[in-house]
Amino acid sequence: MIEMSQTSSASLRRLVVAIAIGAIFPGLVTAQDAEAPAAPERIDLTNFPGELVDKVVVPIPAEIFAVLDKLDEPDWNSGIQLPDANDRGGERSLLALTFGSLVAEGFIAVQAKNAGEIEKIGKRVLDLSESLGLASSVRPHSLAIIEASKNRDWGKVRDELDATQQTVRVTMEKLRDDELSGLVSLGGWVRGTYVVTSFISGSYSEDKAELLNQPGLIAHFREMISSMRGPSASAPAIRAIATGLARLEAIIAGSGNLSEEDVNQLRDISRTMLEEFYFSKTAP
Amino acid sequence: MNPRPRTAAIACAVLLALGGAAYAFVNEAISMALEAAVPYVEQGFEVREDNWSGEVEPGKPLLIRHQLFRGNEYWFWAGTSWPGATIKVDIFDNEGNSVGLESFAKNSFAGVRALPQKTATYFIRVVASYEKTGKGMTKAERGANEPVDGVGEFTGVLDWGLVYGYR
Repeated sequence: MIEMSQTSSASLRRLVVAIAIGAIFPGLVTAQDAEAPAAPERIDLTNFPGELVDKVVVPIPAEIFAVLDKLDEPDWNSGIQLPDANDRGGERSLLALTFGSLVAEGFIAVQAKNAGEIEKIGKRVLDLSESLGLASSVRPHSLAIIEASKNRDWGKVRDELDATQQTVRVTMEKLRDDELSGLVSLGGWVRGTYVVTSFISGSYSEDKAELLNQPGLIAHFREMISSMRGPSASAPAIRAIATGLARLEAIIAGSGNLSEEDVNQLRDISRTMLEEFYFSKTAP
Repeated sequence: MNPRPRTAAIACAVLLALGGAAYAFVNEAISMALEAAVPYVEQGFEVREDNWSGEVEPGKPLLIRHQLFRGNEYWFWAGTSWPGATIKVDIFDNEGNSVGLESFAKNSFAGVRALPQKTATYFIRVVASYEKTGKGMTKAERGANEPVDGVGEFTGVLDWGLVYGYR
C-alpha cells in the first residue's frame, strides 16, 4: 500500500510537470505525434556519407535485468554478493573499477527490492567516492539512493544509481581522467555480466543466452584498455582484465548461438576478472 | 522570451520529471531531447542519464552505434537548440535495414521507436539541418532579440543531442 501510494505520488509529480510544460509551451511533442515510417529505408554502413560518432554509451545492468525479468523470475536476492570492504592499496584504476561494480550491485539489489542491501551499498558508494576524491559530487546521490530505498521507490533508486555513475564519470572526464571514467563503466559491465551469466547458467535457454551477444561492447572495452597510458596500464590487475576480455570476446565472437557451456565459461571468466578488484580470490 | 532562459527552464522541469537528477551544467541540445522524452516517461520508459551530443555541420549525417537487447522496447530522442534548425533521427540494424517502428520529427526535436528483433549493435542516424541565414530568420527564430556583436549569428555548426529510454 505504501509502495502504491508513493509510486502514484512520483507519477503524479511527473505528470504535473509534463502538463505544465505542455501548457506553457503548446508546440511541444506529444506521444500521439509519432507516425509509422512511410517506407523502410536501407543505408550502406560500409560507405556511410557522414560521421561515425566515437562515443560509446554502455548500457546499465538494469537494461539487461529488465529483459531477464520478462523471460524468467530470477531470485535476485541470491545475486547480491556485496563483498567486505577491502584495501587494495588505493590504486585509482582499481577504485574506479570497484565503483562501477558497486553501482551494478545496487542495480541487482533494486531488482531484489532489498532496501537493507541498497542502504549498505549507498553507504559504500559514498565511502569509495571519498577515496576517489569525489565525495562532494556523490553525496547527494548516495543520500537520495538511501532515502528512495527506504520509501521503496525502486524507479527512483534506479535513476539515482544511473545518475551516480554518470556524475562520477563526468567529473572524472572534467579532471581529464577519461581512463578512470571508462573503467567505471567496465566495472559495472563485468559485475552485471557475472550475475546475468550466473542466472542463465542456472536455467539455460537460447533466448536468455542471446542477451550476452555484446561483441561491440567487448571490443570497445578492449580498445579502451589497450589505449591506456601511465602506470595503471601495466598493473597486473589491468593486464588480467585485458586477458579476460580477450577470452570473453573469443567465446562470443566464435559462435552463432551461445551454448550452456559457453555461458558457464563466460560466468567463470567474468568471476575471475572481478576477483582482480572486487571479490576475494577463491582458493585454488 | 529569450530562448536560453526558456530552454534552461524546460531542462530544469524535465530533469525534475525524470526523477530529480541534476547535471552540473545544462546542455541545451540534450535539454531539447529530454523535452521530447517527457510524454514517454509517463508511459514507463526509463531515460538513461548518459547520452551523446556535439556539434555538426548542417545536413551532415551522424551515425551512432549502440547495443540493444531483444525483449526491451526503446525510444531515441534527438534535439537541437539552434532557432530555426530541424533534426531527424532513424535507427538501422547492423545490415543497414531501417528498424524504426514509428517516429516523429517536429522542428527542434525528433524521436524513433524500436523493438529489436535480436540482441546486437544497432545504428542510430541523426541529421540536423538549417537552411536559413541570419537575414532569413524570423524574429521568433532569432529568439526575439536582435543579434549583438555576432551573438546569435549562425557559425556554421549546429548543436545536437541524443538520449534514449527503455522499458
